[in-house]
Amino acid sequence: MLVLAVKFTWKVIQSAWPALVGLSLADAQWYHLLGIPVILGLIGAFAVVYYLRFHFHVASDALIVERGLFQRERLQIPFERIQAVQLFQGPVQQLVGLTGLRVDTAGSSGSELELVAIRKQDAEGLQLLLRSQMASPESATADPLSGEAPTAAEMAPMVELSFADLMKVGLTQNHIKNAFIGFAVVMSLFQGFEDRLSLWLAGLPPLVLTVLGMATVLLIVPGLIMMAVVGVVTSLIGAALNFWKLKSAIGAEGVQLEMGLLRRNVFEVPFDKVHLTEWKSNWLRRKFGYETLRIRQAQAAGAGGLRVFIPAMEPRHRAAMEAAVYPDIAQGVLAEARPAGRLRWLLFAGAILPALAVLISPSISHAILGLCWGAFVFWTTGRRFAAYRMAVHSNAIVLESGWFWRSRTVLKMGQLQGVEWRRNALLERRGIGHLVFHTAAGARSFGYMHKEQGLRILDFAINQLHSASPSAPQPAA
Amino acid sequence: MDIPAASNPPLDLSGVPRLEDIAFHPVSDKYRQMRLAMWGAVQFFAAAAILTPFIIFKVTGEEELGAFAAWWWPLGIQCLIAGVWFAEEWLGFPRRGYAVRERDITYRTGWMFRTTTTVPFGMIQHSELSQGPVSRMLGLNHVKLFTAGGSGNLRIAGLAEEEAQTLRAVIEARTRR
Repeated sequence: MLVLAVKFTWKVIQSAWPALVGLSLADAQWYHLLGIPVILGLIGAFAVVYYLRFHFHVASDALIVERGLFQRERLQIPFERIQAVQLFQGPVQQLVGLTGLRVDTAGSSGSELELVAIRKQDAEGLQLLLRSQMASPESATADPLSGEAPTAAEMAPMVELSFADLMKVGLTQNHIKNAFIGFAVVMSLFQGFEDRLSLWLAGLPPLVLTVLGMATVLLIVPGLIMMAVVGVVTSLIGAALNFWKLKSAIGAEGVQLEMGLLRRNVFEVPFDKVHLTEWKSNWLRRKFGYETLRIRQAQAAGAGGLRVFIPAMEPRHRAAMEAAVYPDIAQGVLAEARPAGRLRWLLFAGAILPALAVLISPSISHAILGLCWGAFVFWTTGRRFAAYRMAVHSNAIVLESGWFWRSRTVLKMGQLQGVEWRRNALLERRGIGHLVFHTAAGARSFGYMHKEQGLRILDFAINQLHSASPSAPQPAA
Repeated sequence: MDIPAASNPPLDLSGVPRLEDIAFHPVSDKYRQMRLAMWGAVQFFAAAAILTPFIIFKVTGEEELGAFAAWWWPLGIQCLIAGVWFAEEWLGFPRRGYAVRERDITYRTGWMFRTTTTVPFGMIQHSELSQGPVSRMLGLNHVKLFTAGGSGNLRIAGLAEEEAQTLRAVIEARTRR
């Protein structure tokens, strides 16, 4: 209940902060402060009533929730529709020793149910129950793994991050992106500061202003250094907040992971609800022997859905994960495809464009710069082109791309929602096209394939898709 | 990457049904009229929007002959766009079509930008018939198929009313599990 009150307070602050800022800027009288206890009291009363009106229970095949104050609603979530179960503990929940539970379904609104605070053992019991129920009978035919006796409780540990590993993960993040995020955070913290600064500037004599303006030029180098520092620090803080004491385990039917500092999350993802797995790494992270795994589940196009990702997966972890989710990968590659040679020239042409800026003001130094860039592009294009690869297994498709930022996407043909062959008239004339796989977690494509090869793989994918479905749909007439 | 060296037999694709071999049903010819009318209307309004200031200058008789020459630029660009769009409509229309197999439906469109999309019946979440006022006047109907995730959604536009109903019935019957 306390958690609810804090949550609602937070929500009110979130939704009403412009009003609050306006109040604090207006010449405040002491009696305005009296409003605060009134608002807090109202929120508290609302939280109490909401709490009293919130019921949930577990039926034989569904989770049933009744909630709402003025508008009552009854949610019924069948177990087999549950995509993932997540336990979370924000700072408040950690303080009072409670746990929140989130149940994700494939519905368009993303998360459909959030129990904000329940006792830890209740949450774990519920999670265990849902875990055993989620493995739907449907999966028994689709998933070859479930031929064995279900041993959901047995989990083998996978990635466990120590503090040093955590720092490694932080150091290998995208610092440039994080620098901008860091600056945005700092800026939003010092919103009032900016106003005061401009006020102070307005009070200065004009001569001082011009000197200040010239001084800012000198600030470029320290600014860049500061940018780098902010980027790295934000990366480290972000890594610490998100992946603090990350623990993950893999079982016969799903993965489980636990991470986070202020907000501690426990995820539970069954294998048959995994629609895409993506492995991303940059050069630096590969030097540490790490890759980031992103697990994508069914989600509507616009909805965020649950984003599960595990940094610092080592090769052996990937092998274990893929053996569990895509058992057919171990049986070897049935067909392999690479893009048409034309892509090499398109990549080269796209990357060389900046060098054409030399033509605007030709000079020796610019020509040397242009040549250097050309050589660099020539060198990287070959590598980038060689990195594109598609491997077709009996049920899985593996798409690989990227040289510095490497990416590997794996999907199951049995779960495809549709397959598309796409090309424009120019490519059609050269017999080249793109193969697009539509999955429940979004579309992934492999571009610039030779038509003959692309259409064979498309036909094969459709064939595997149909043979994976449990029974042929029987037409009524 | 350590993929164990397992058996790797050559893939026998002769038994796999080929998508290229199937015949596509064309969509209704009235839909071509509808699309061309649409094209005409858009071009008319675009041309009107470009020419209106010119006509106003001409009528009010203001001496802005320097700007006069520049009016042909937007009109020329519009003509170019109109030409490409027309080619897309005219040459692309015969390529529009769908094909129903035992377990999936395939839809093909486009001349400049060609797509051929196949959606298995088993993955269709629900289907929808949609009809605007103009298509109602022409007796046309559009069938929309929705899949999980939304990226594989399919819209088969411009079917004659009866054909659309039949197609929908076929899809409903085969989607039912």
